[in-house]
Amino acid sequence: MFGWKGKMLRIDLSRRNCSVEETPSDLIRDYMGGRGAGLKILFDEIDPMTDPLGPENKLIFATGPLVGTGVPAGGRYIVVSKSPLSGAIANPCCGGYFGPNLKFAGYDLLIIEGKSSEPVYLFIRNDVVEIRPAGQLWGKWATETERLIRSEMSEDFDEWELNNMSIVTIGPAGENLVKFACIMSDGGRAAGRSGLGAVMGSKNLKGLVVSGTGEVKIADVGGFKKAVMDFFEEGRANETLEKRRRWGTWSLPGRANKTGTQAALNFQSGYFEPFTKFEDPDFIRDSIRVRDEACFGCPFACSKRSRIEDLAYPGTTKGPEHESMALLGSNCGIGDLDDIYRANYLCNELGMDTISAGAIISCAMELFEKGYLPEKDIGYPLGFGSNEAMFQLMRKIALREDFGDLLAEGGNALARKYGHPELFMGIKGMGMPAWHPQGVEVIGLQYATNNVGGCHTKATLPFYEGRKDPERHVELTKQDQDYIAVVDSSVLCWIIYHGPLWGEKLLSWLQITTGIDYTENDLSLIGERIWNLERIFNLKAGLSKKDDRLPKRITDEPRVKNQVVHLDRMLPEYYKLRGWDENGIPTPEKLQQLGLEKEGAGI
Amino acid sequence: MRIKIDHLKCTGCKLCEVVCSLQHTEAVNLWRSRIRVFIKEDYCLPVIAGPYTEAMCNSKDVVLVEGKEIDGCVVCRASCPAKSIFKEPDTAIPLKCDFCGDPPDPQCVAWCDADALTICD
Repeated sequence: MFGWKGKMLRIDLSRRNCSVEETPSDLIRDYMGGRGAGLKILFDEIDPMTDPLGPENKLIFATGPLVGTGVPAGGRYIVVSKSPLSGAIANPCCGGYFGPNLKFAGYDLLIIEGKSSEPVYLFIRNDVVEIRPAGQLWGKWATETERLIRSEMSEDFDEWELNNMSIVTIGPAGENLVKFACIMSDGGRAAGRSGLGAVMGSKNLKGLVVSGTGEVKIADVGGFKKAVMDFFEEGRANETLEKRRRWGTWSLPGRANKTGTQAALNFQSGYFEPFTKFEDPDFIRDSIRVRDEACFGCPFACSKRSRIEDLAYPGTTKGPEHESMALLGSNCGIGDLDDIYRANYLCNELGMDTISAGAIISCAMELFEKGYLPEKDIGYPLGFGSNEAMFQLMRKIALREDFGDLLAEGGNALARKYGHPELFMGIKGMGMPAWHPQGVEVIGLQYATNNVGGCHTKATLPFYEGRKDPERHVELTKQDQDYIAVVDSSVLCWIIYHGPLWGEKLLSWLQITTGIDYTENDLSLIGERIWNLERIFNLKAGLSKKDDRLPKRITDEPRVKNQVVHLDRMLPEYYKLRGWDENGIPTPEKLQQLGLEKEGAGI
Repeated sequence: MRIKIDHLKCTGCKLCEVVCSLQHTEAVNLWRSRIRVFIKEDYCLPVIAGPYTEAMCNSKDVVLVEGKEIDGCVVCRASCPAKSIFKEPDTAIPLKCDFCGDPPDPQCVAWCDADALTICD
């Protein structure tokens, strides 16, 4: 089999056993892999109404046919589960070396079910699977956990194999079931949104170690080598990718701020004066960068490892990326780069999603400044820009101490408790990311209709021709959502493969690697099928049209460029184009077209 | 001909390992690659397989790279009984870089988009 490995590994933590199954061929045909295949398995095996933090919820680590093949930027993995934060489907993706290692170990997917009675971590080396005790690791921060696991392994393996293995962990936030805890891997990378770190924590699963020594086959090796060489040249000629190579996402905060589309002060503004210094992205690069850190197989190495001179923050971490800089920085009124680094470092080490953490803390800051949240409840003042208070609060959230316990429940819980639910800038309970939708209206539609909630990764920001034409917003949104669903199922990196030209590229990689004669039509059908099945999952999980909305601030109060997002106009059009009825429920005709009659029965 | 390694330019993408295994085995298997990249926090270290040595060293050295101590076995190019890499996984036959045939055309250099690997005479 080319591309896929054709096997999936299932581990039951309750019964402490595991089994290897064949990856069903119809699963591959209809859902490709990654996000799609994980979704279909989750949909078939759990009740969408199940408690996300209960033992019935499953956690699926999924790779796709292009992972580990050396297709440039094909080194990612997707985690699929039900989100404790939104109650909806969750499918965060993450780079690094874990996905390829899982493939080299021989598996397309890893399904984790049940709940261990005591803290454990998993060790997988090809066909050896061990459940090992993790009591000694419980409570440890993310990279410390990685270091301790490696030192435990050092008795059995030499330096090279220790270096080769990839480790996934959760920090204290995941252990304490913070609803926006994330899954960390490879020293600071995160499968960030949706709170799946808490799902791992609920299963008493502290980490996963994977070392793969096997192979991945490619159908047309000669064609593949040539295509990669060509790709290097195309990359060199592409201005956007060259920016990524030098600055990663650090070129964005200054630019977004300059154009007034940067989330600032809990989305009260699109501009934050201290961020003007980031208009020269070399300022960030020269201040904190240690080295460019590629994911497996990526020539662009857009992620940057960084460090500051502060003994209280030893070692290095990854980022902060643009989204973290916006939510932990401008959105919380913090403009000092070192402070943003510290906040990002704490999130990475405690194992919390930087975007959600920033969104929730900025909400608390606004509640405090407006006088709705009394200082005695927090214990210290928490106005915009209070850096030390924020760092302290982050630790308290992760440990669920004092006021942090409430924040750990998510932004809606906080804002409701103090009587102002409209002040939490979230969608489906998940905080909105960096780009202010009032700056670019189509982003508003993308956020509102996103199956996972307020997340920027499931439709790319509008790089398409026609982005300024409101008439085309709905069409472009649907098209891109379906396209990214295939990118996430292949699994390629959406950060590199976005924009109008990349569809052809994805198609040719799939053809060369798998030897299957995919057509553009096949891919768009797979993408649309995934998007609709996610929708069905959400409907069955109790979500509905009322969850496809933006915070009132975005639709009613013009904060940026004197504009609001006209979601009322776009949403019915979007439903219609999707083939859904006026309540956002897929019609029988649409279900039939996608072969989802059985799955969609009874919605 | 030699391959010059500038480890500070290496990003750790491992495409050199990918293409080396493709060149020699027609499949992607990093354990069959004649070049391996060791990834540290501050830098990455590509190491190219040299000749096989039948005996292990009797002294374990520590070397300094960028001011930090690192196990000498890591930077040593030899394939030896003490190491897991540079051996054919199934048969344990030692692997050695052959510059991708005659005339030499090392694929790892061609695939190093970061220019960490270059040819020098």
